[in-house]
Amino acid sequence: MMRKEAAKERRTRRSRYVFRENVELYSLFFPAALLIVIFSYIPLWGLVIAFQDYLAGNSIFALNETVKWVGLKHFRRFVSSIYFGRLIGNTLRLSVLDLLFGFTMPIIFALLLNEVRSLKYKKFVQTASYLPHFISTVVAAGMMLSFLEMGGVVNSLAGALGISPKEYIAYPDYYPAIYTITNVWKGFGFSSILYFSTISSIDPVLYESAKIDGATRWQQIKHITLPGIRFIIAVQLVLQVGKVLNTNTDLALLLYRPSTYSTSDVIGTYIYREGISGGKYSYTTAIGLFMSVIGFILTFVTNRISNKLTGYGMW
Amino acid sequence: MSAITKKKRRIREGSLLADALIYIAAGFLAFICIYPLYYVLILSLSTPENAITMQVFWYPKGFYLEGYRRLLQDNNLWISYRNTIMYAAAETGLILIVCSMAAYALSSPRLRGRKFLNYFLLVPMYFSGGIIPLFLLVVQLGLYNTPWALILPGAYNIWYIILIKSYFGTISESLREAAELDGANSYRILASIYLPVSKPILAVIALYSIVGVWNGWYRASIFIVNSNWQPLQLYLRRVLVEQTVDLSQEFLTTEELLADQMNRLGSNQMKYTIIIVSSLPMILVYPYFQKFFAKGVMMGSLKE
Repeated sequence: MMRKEAAKERRTRRSRYVFRENVELYSLFFPAALLIVIFSYIPLWGLVIAFQDYLAGNSIFALNETVKWVGLKHFRRFVSSIYFGRLIGNTLRLSVLDLLFGFTMPIIFALLLNEVRSLKYKKFVQTASYLPHFISTVVAAGMMLSFLEMGGVVNSLAGALGISPKEYIAYPDYYPAIYTITNVWKGFGFSSILYFSTISSIDPVLYESAKIDGATRWQQIKHITLPGIRFIIAVQLVLQVGKVLNTNTDLALLLYRPSTYSTSDVIGTYIYREGISGGKYSYTTAIGLFMSVIGFILTFVTNRISNKLTGYGMW
Repeated sequence: MSAITKKKRRIREGSLLADALIYIAAGFLAFICIYPLYYVLILSLSTPENAITMQVFWYPKGFYLEGYRRLLQDNNLWISYRNTIMYAAAETGLILIVCSMAAYALSSPRLRGRKFLNYFLLVPMYFSGGIIPLFLLVVQLGLYNTPWALILPGAYNIWYIILIKSYFGTISESLREAAELDGANSYRILASIYLPVSKPILAVIALYSIVGVWNGWYRASIFIVNSNWQPLQLYLRRVLVEQTVDLSQEFLTTEELLADQMNRLGSNQMKYTIIIVSSLPMILVYPYFQKFFAKGVMMGSLKE
C-alpha cells in the first residue's frame, strides 16, 4: 500500500518535472521559431502573389476584394516571352560548364593531393587552395575585370604575342569562359575538403594489402580511393543537378553587362533586374516559383537515378 | 627495417616521373590560387608608373605607400568597414544564441511534439519563397534601409540548428541527468554544460557566419539602398565593378588633379589598395581555423 502510493507520487513528481522542462525547452525554441515563421514561412505564403496582379504597397497577406487573382497568367507570359528560351539556354549552358569543371575539379584536386606524400607540401597546397573562398565575390569579380581591362595584364600579355587588345568582358562569346573560370577558381579548393575528409577516412589497411599484392598507384586510386568516395560524389551530383537552374547570381550580377546579355543573362539576374529594380513583383515571383518547382523535380529524378545506378542517394 | 619500408614504398611510388608531375600539378594549382591576390598586393605597393606600364610581375617595383596613406583618409570606406564589422558581430552573435537554444530544445529526450518541430524545420529547408516575397515582407515590416533588414533574416539558420543539435547528441546524457538531480534547470544546463563542451562546432559556425557576412553583398544591395548603413562589399562594388566612385577625384588634392596623367594612375592604384585592405582580415584569419573546416564540412555532409 505504502509502496504503491510512493510510486504514484514519484510518477506525478516526474510528470510535473517533464512538464516544467518542456516549458523551458519551448521557451528556448521560441526565438528561432519566431524568426523562422517571419522570415521563412511568411515569404513562402507570399508566393501567392505569383497568381495575382500584385499592387505595390498592398499587403502580401491581403485576400480581400483588392486582390486581383489572375491564375497562371504570369507563368504563361513568361513561357511565351522571348526571354524564356534565352534565359533557360544561358542558365543551362553555364550550369553544364559548372558540372564539367566546377563539379569535377574538387574531386580531381583531392585525388591529386592525396598522392602527395610530403605532409608539409600537402598542407601548403591545401591552405593556398582555400584562399579564393575567403575572398569576396566582389573582389574576385573586380580582379577579373581589372585583369581583363584594355590596359590590363591579359591584354598586355596577349599583346606580347601579337594579339590585338580587346575588351573581353564586353563580348558575349567570352562571357561563359570568364564566368566559369572565376567560379571554379573561387570554389574548387574549399569544395575539395569534403572529398579530402572522406578519403582520409578510408581504412589504410586496404592500401597496405593492395600494395602487397603489387597494385600500382593508378590501380589503387581506381579500386580503393574512388569507390571510397563514390557515395559522396553521388550525393553531391544529385544536389548539383537539382541546382542547374540556379546559377551563381551573385557572381553573374557583377560580371555581366547589357552588351553580353545574349549569353550572360540568367534566370537569377533577370528576376533581380525585373523584380527588384523593375518592380514586376508578381511576374518575377512566378518565374522564381516555376524554377524552384523544376529544380525540385530534377533533384527528385536524379536522386532516383543515382539510387538505381550507384545505390546511393540523398534519401 | 628501413630497407624494407623503402622497398615497399617504391612499389607504391611507381615512377619518379609520376611523383614529379603530381608535385608540379599541385604546386601549379596553389600558384593559381595565390598569385592573383599577390599580384594585386605588389601592384598596390609599386609606384604608379611601374604599375600601369605592366612591369611588375614578381615583386613590387619602387615602394609606394601613398595609396594606403590616402585610403586612411577615406571616410566612406571606413564607415562601410565599421558597418560590416557591426553586421558580422550582430548576426554571428545572434545566430550562435538563437541556434544553440533551439538545438538544446531538440536535443532533450523528453521534448514533446518533436515530430511537429522537425517538420517545422524541414519545410523551409526545401521550399523557399525566393527573394521577391522576402523583399516585399522587409518593406512591409518597415525594415527596408535599416540595418535590421540584414540582421534579423540573418539571425537564424536552420542548417546550423541541425548541426548543433547533432553535436549536442554526442554529449553523454548522464551529464544532463546529474545536473538535473542537482536541481539545475534547462537554461542552466545549456549555459554551463552544453555550450562549454560544444566550442568546436560553435567555432565552425561563427567562422562560416563571419565569412558569409564579411563577403556578402547581394542581400544588402536589395535591402540597404541608403549608403549610411551599407556594408563594405557594396562600397567595393561601386569602386571595382560599377566604377561609379571616381577615386582620383576623391583622393587627390586640387594640385594633383592638374596632373591628369598621374590622376588616372592614382585611381588604378587605389583599387588595388582597397582590395588588399578589405580582404586582409579574412586572409589573415582563415589559416588558423583550418582544422575546423573539415569537421564542419563532414558533420554537414553526414546529415544530408
